[in-house]
Amino acid sequence: MKRRRIKLDLDALRKGGILKQRQKDYFILRTRIPGGRLDADLLPRFMMIAKKYGKGYVHLSTRQCIEIAWIHIEDLDKAIKELKRAGIARGACGPRSRNIVACPGSSVCRFGFSDTEKFAVKLDKKFFGKDVPKKFKIAVSGCMNSCSKPQENDIGFLAQGEPEVDLDKCISCTLCAKVCEEVCSRGKREPAIIMDGKKRPVYRKENCFFEGDCVRICPVSAWKIKRTGYAVFLGGKIGRFPMLGYKVAEFVQENDVHAIINKTIELYRAIAKKGERFGDAINRTGIEEARKKVL
Amino acid sequence: MDLKGVPCPMNFVKVKLKLETMDSGEKLEIVLDDGEPVKNVSVSLKDEGHRMLKVERSGECWKVLVEKK
Repeated sequence: MKRRRIKLDLDALRKGGILKQRQKDYFILRTRIPGGRLDADLLPRFMMIAKKYGKGYVHLSTRQCIEIAWIHIEDLDKAIKELKRAGIARGACGPRSRNIVACPGSSVCRFGFSDTEKFAVKLDKKFFGKDVPKKFKIAVSGCMNSCSKPQENDIGFLAQGEPEVDLDKCISCTLCAKVCEEVCSRGKREPAIIMDGKKRPVYRKENCFFEGDCVRICPVSAWKIKRTGYAVFLGGKIGRFPMLGYKVAEFVQENDVHAIINKTIELYRAIAKKGERFGDAINRTGIEEARKKVL
Repeated sequence: MDLKGVPCPMNFVKVKLKLETMDSGEKLEIVLDDGEPVKNVSVSLKDEGHRMLKVERSGECWKVLVEKK
């Protein structure tokens, strides 16, 4: 069968997450799943579209998105409409902010300090698909284990918890000091918890990584989380020349995150050359300058 | 209950089975290896709601006294 020639505005398509394949006339539909949280009812719809228009499989991207390849140019319009009807959100490519990734977070994970999935979904509504010089990636992690890799995103949020101890409950088991010493020695710091002469824990906040090991280990719940917030990382990226983001703030509250992302995108637009990643741009203009601008 | 040399999670499973034969408020002393065993078993017992009365170093090992929920 002879196919019709169709004219397409590739740039407009890229805006909505349509990527040209290496094979002539074939495209990949990139969808997005904010925070990696996918309603089970949506799954069969992905399969249906992949079977009907693609080759019966999907690709799981590293940004928690599902991509459906092998969409022929003549089916593109129909497939896109079907995605929309199915309630599947489209992804982004080109110079835009991307899907916001998250770990499972405190709703199920015993390490998480914050409901990262929920937070990512909120951030998606405000910050997905913004025009930027190159690309802009946001990640949210519920704890220092960094499962969603906030340090390798243009802006990353890592939840942290500050502990405090109720000495009346303490049974002097020393387990808190033991786990603290382990994490601090890996992090090349003196322990944040040491035991005094009466085998009572003494907390030295300046050494704390705020990862919460003492709270989890304490057999009598003498250690509690006093406050939580997010550490903020700027300028992380992987690509051809990887770098981890700079930590610019700690214990930022959820309510303040919107303003920080807004200012970061503004700064990125202002300082970056076309095609330059945020990390490379702040390496030219200075991280201190960037910190002052976004906080 | 001597759990020296019993790896995780079998050490916890053994404690759990033992506790199931006991009455609420009864106490059980267990001996655990240093490292993961003392950390994991203490946390698991706490998470299941038992009361931890004592956790103390005893030579190379740890002695844990727990009161059944």
